[in-house]
Amino acid sequence: MAKSDDCVHILQGLLVFGNVVIGMCGIALTAECIYVVSNPHGPYPLLKATENSDIYAAAWIGIFVGLALFALSILGIIAVIRASRTLLMVYIILMLITFAFEMASCITAATHQDSLTPEHFLKQMLERYQKSEPGNNSDNEVTKTWDELMRQNHCCGVKGPSDWQEYTSAFRDTHSDADYPWPRTCCVLDAKGLPVNLDGCKLGVPGYYNSNGCYDAISGPVNAHAWGVAWFGFAILCWTFCVLLGTMFYWSGIEY
Amino acid sequence: LEGVTTGSTFVLDQPRCVFEDYGNAVIWLVVTLDKDAPSFNNSAEPGTPETAFQRFPDPVRAYMTLNATLGSYPCPKPAGDITVLRVGSETSCARDETRPTCNGPLPGPGPYRVKFLALEGSVPVAETAWSMPIMLRTAKPPSSISTTGSGHNAGMIAITTILSILFAILLAGLVAMLVFWGSDSCGSSTLSKPESVSVRRYNTHHVYDQPAARL
Repeated sequence: MAKSDDCVHILQGLLVFGNVVIGMCGIALTAECIYVVSNPHGPYPLLKATENSDIYAAAWIGIFVGLALFALSILGIIAVIRASRTLLMVYIILMLITFAFEMASCITAATHQDSLTPEHFLKQMLERYQKSEPGNNSDNEVTKTWDELMRQNHCCGVKGPSDWQEYTSAFRDTHSDADYPWPRTCCVLDAKGLPVNLDGCKLGVPGYYNSNGCYDAISGPVNAHAWGVAWFGFAILCWTFCVLLGTMFYWSGIEY
Repeated sequence: LEGVTTGSTFVLDQPRCVFEDYGNAVIWLVVTLDKDAPSFNNSAEPGTPETAFQRFPDPVRAYMTLNATLGSYPCPKPAGDITVLRVGSETSCARDETRPTCNGPLPGPGPYRVKFLALEGSVPVAETAWSMPIMLRTAKPPSSISTTGSGHNAGMIAITTILSILFAILLAGLVAMLVFWGSDSCGSSTLSKPESVSVRRYNTHHVYDQPAARL
């Protein structure tokens, strides 16, 4: 009798510990997803314009899942200590629902990375940057985002300034090739926002123009966010799986 | 230099230390299409409708521009300076027929050939050889960029597979629990756990009272 009592106590202890960890991870997941969603320097307008903002849907789901995990972990601790079959059943069912939502969020975040190829951004940039009659507001957003991106990261185009030479673009329709081989924001600008050496920039003299592409500056933060949401969520789900299995086992061992 | 050739301009080295003996001459740049190079006549006069930029390439076969005196090309060339000429950089006079010597943007991808011609008055005194054919860049439309998916990476496949398996196991466990609970509540619990009979040892109390009375 004493031995099985000990086993039950150990199992209870493990389950309480597991639930505590789930609660803390839930809070951490919420915090991380809030950061991803609200990061002001992120390339969100670019992604929104490409209708590619799945990462933000995944992050929003992550916020609510994190809070749900925290609340359910408290319910779980109470249920385990009181050894109540009903409470445990409710806990398991609600946890499974949360598990399903978090699974959706992880898979979305992981899939999202595949669609962020340079060609994708290149096409969007060529078709919408500095479009002369902006049909909708998002074209203005695209232009503003690209300008800010190029100014802050000292880069030009997606793969380099030759993007503007290799392809025709909305920009090329309104700016002649001789005067603007690439946009002025690709030039090294002084404090007032004017090119330091306009002729040097047009010629492509190193030092007066930005010769590297912006793709790294875009994909870096987006990939970091996506990996954060996807893999952290995956880790939480693996741990939750173990705790749920233990809870089911504990449930079946409770004497009626 | 990244802008050596663009869609409508190209860059040439300045003719330094080439026309040294012709201090009085005006050095002109002659631009023509590759196929028209052999038919160019050195006696053509710059600044006339026959060599005007605005009518290039038809009917004007070759135009002359970028006039300069020898002073603009001092010799020797200071090391480290970028001494280039950009052909096609003047956009303001591209359609201005009053400026036939305009250095306007080139109208097509070429190929073009150029040479420098030194004129004293209107007499040609020196020239360089024709350059190699210069081809400008042609731009493709953005619709030619293919954005089809490049396949799913290993991480996504791993996450999806593992999570689906875990979820399936949990669902199976839940179903088993529900079945177990259902059959349990049908009332077999009283039979499945027999009362455990325990016998406790009973010590008759008078055995232990004796020592106290021995005094």
